[in-house]
Amino acid sequence: MSDATIEVRNLRKRFGRTLAVDGLSFTAEPGMVTGFVGPNGAGKSTTMRALLGLDAADEGEALIGGRPYHALRTPLLEVGALLDAAALHPSRRGRDHLRWLAHSHGLPMSRVDEVLDQVGMDAAARRRAGGYSLGMRQRLGLAAALLGDPPVLLLDEPVNGLDPEGIQWIRTLLRDLASEGRAILVSSHLMSELEDTADHLVVIGRGRLIAETAVADLLAAASGDRVRLRTSARAEAMELLAREGATVAVTDRDTLTVTGMPTQRIVELLTGSNVPIAEVAAHRATLEEAYMELTRESVEFASARKSEAAE
Amino acid sequence: MTTTIPPYRSRLHPARAGFRHLLRAEWTKFWTVRVRLLVLAVAAVVTVVISQLGASGSHSEGPVQVVTGPDGTVVNDAFHLTHRPLTGDGTVTVRVTGLRSADGGALESWAKAGLMIKANLEPGSPYAAVLTTPDHGIRMQWNFTGDTPGSAADAPHWLRLTRSGDRVTGYDSTDGTHWRKIRDVRLSGLPHTTQVGIFVATPAHQVLHRSFGGTSETFGGGKVTGTFDHLALRGTPASAAWRSTDVGGPMPNGPRRADAEQGRTTTDASGEHTLTGRGDIAPDESGGDTVQMSFQGVFVGVLFMVALGALFMTGEYKRGLIRTTFTATPGRIRVLAAKTLVIGSVTFAVSLPATAVAFTLAQSTLRANGYEPPQFPDYSLLDTPALRAIVGSAALLSLVAVLALAVGVLLRTSAGTIAAVLVLVILPQILAFALPLPAAHWLLRVTPAAAFAIQQGVTYYPQAENNCLPESGCYPMQPVHGLLVLAAYALVALLLAAWRLRRRDA
Repeated sequence: MSDATIEVRNLRKRFGRTLAVDGLSFTAEPGMVTGFVGPNGAGKSTTMRALLGLDAADEGEALIGGRPYHALRTPLLEVGALLDAAALHPSRRGRDHLRWLAHSHGLPMSRVDEVLDQVGMDAAARRRAGGYSLGMRQRLGLAAALLGDPPVLLLDEPVNGLDPEGIQWIRTLLRDLASEGRAILVSSHLMSELEDTADHLVVIGRGRLIAETAVADLLAAASGDRVRLRTSARAEAMELLAREGATVAVTDRDTLTVTGMPTQRIVELLTGSNVPIAEVAAHRATLEEAYMELTRESVEFASARKSEAAE
Repeated sequence: MTTTIPPYRSRLHPARAGFRHLLRAEWTKFWTVRVRLLVLAVAAVVTVVISQLGASGSHSEGPVQVVTGPDGTVVNDAFHLTHRPLTGDGTVTVRVTGLRSADGGALESWAKAGLMIKANLEPGSPYAAVLTTPDHGIRMQWNFTGDTPGSAADAPHWLRLTRSGDRVTGYDSTDGTHWRKIRDVRLSGLPHTTQVGIFVATPAHQVLHRSFGGTSETFGGGKVTGTFDHLALRGTPASAAWRSTDVGGPMPNGPRRADAEQGRTTTDASGEHTLTGRGDIAPDESGGDTVQMSFQGVFVGVLFMVALGALFMTGEYKRGLIRTTFTATPGRIRVLAAKTLVIGSVTFAVSLPATAVAFTLAQSTLRANGYEPPQFPDYSLLDTPALRAIVGSAALLSLVAVLALAVGVLLRTSAGTIAAVLVLVILPQILAFALPLPAAHWLLRVTPAAAFAIQQGVTYYPQAENNCLPESGCYPMQPVHGLLVLAAYALVALLLAAWRLRRRDA
């Protein structure tokens, strides 16, 4: 096992009567951005707190490089964490917030200035944190996470509160950090935020793992190999394609959905038989759609339980 | 999906995250909230200013005729003595057959009848005595502040004093044959010829009325009769006859004429001596404590220190900053230890000069207001009562900050923590002025308010009759013991906090 792997095994955590995390297992590998997705209250933050040794697990393990957090000798150099960007003393200047963190690990002030530069906070860092916008707080929080130049990053909803420019900036930053070989776990309750950022996804709902998959595979699965075909000769096209082994369904008066046959072959067959084609398009699902598909089951399960309870 | 990128390694190795670094981080955390430095400065200034105001509001009515003992302590030294001069070494023996009140009032618990060797008949001169008391058994007492219990017996009882050089040894016996040594003491400056004999004394009756907003203490009366037989002196008497003297008297115990009445000695044919007299032989603690009076501002300083200590902890809980702290340092007990050291040292470092300056200024103000030697001693900054009070008051301010820090871990809210600590430290002080005396004393022993005893400059002796009124600056505990009560509270709170930090999620 490498130094920079985030590993959650069979994690269970209960708060009073609520089971916040229920037997969760997943791995976040180095060199990748792993998106940690689920609706609010799904147990993302609890899992992250368990990884950071802040909440004690009732069962199971939350390990970083194979070790529990409290066993790390210089934690800031091994894990960078952004849990809550609002966790700042309003009277303390941004730079001083990083100053005490740096002192705790004997890091020089030059390192503080480096990370402030990296997140674009040089000027604002000399003001008191009480006057920061949410975006500035997020940037300062990222600077704190990067202070120890760690191989592992745990970021809880880092995109929250950033403007479109900021969102683009953080995407690039995370991609760059991952390409250096870091393991990055980024939580979000919005799948769209992770589009073009995450390589790998861990989807949870109600404290349980729903899916752990590569983003590419998920998109392919959600898209299927469906092709949308619009033609004025619906009947001929159906007959021809079905004979050649495709599954064809009628979607509309002049639209068919074809599965089980590559687009190229469909076009060949139809043009070979002089069947007119108005439009042919491979269906491509968005990450959001794929996610909806994935979570439909657990949502339905949830609403079924709700209606049961209502009766 | 597989990746071929090698895992990243921090370029900042090797870094250290030792306790020294943690201390520096916590100190940085403290001072980078700049308002805290301002609060410290204000706390120091307010402590000095309030102490100064307190001192300038106190006045003493100028020089009073006072008697001081061999060590400079202000004392009462008035009693009825039947004596003979003794040259060189010798032994005096007597049986005390009874001690009773002679004025119709109750017998005071520290009424005395016994034997004495005294340098001369001047009040305040060195002496040693063995004596019977109604409630405290047989005692050997010397030079006013010394007191050792003998048998728990009552009259009738045998007593003996032996002088050998500058040593005086006290004995007591139930039968006049088997003697039990109480102890021997050295009386430096005892002349070759001393006065030896039998004496009676009693403190005045006291009436104490206390209620919210006022206290009245009335002293008056007190007269006792002691009976003695088998009086024997071995040695070289310088004169053959026993004479009687009211040392330091007759003592006007009260405003009435009868209170200034002279003592009497009668001797019957069978050799029984009956002595009637008044007055007391003990340290005089009625004068007021000019050390304690110099630290009134510390009471206010406590408010600032409690707030600083509490907010240093609860501020982190309020904003979730505690999670950042525990992420940087997963060892939570180490964080608590570092925070304790930082808040303890910072508050102590600021309080010490503040209490030293407060004391020095208040002393000169009190001097100008009539608190002068010999009635009120001249305290040096580096002598025990003053130094103990200065350093102890700074320690008190530092300990309340630490206590507030630890309670902050337990309660996690700023308002709750500050209120709880102030209830523990300040409220008992206020209640002690109003509650019945036993309840007030109990409060000042079992709550952290006991620590204010460290500001006492006057030593309260158990053998001196004193009500120990909180409003007069008297605390029921010894100075250092009082401070230890607060230290114990802080320690227990820290242990509970450590236990809580380990068990509870951050």
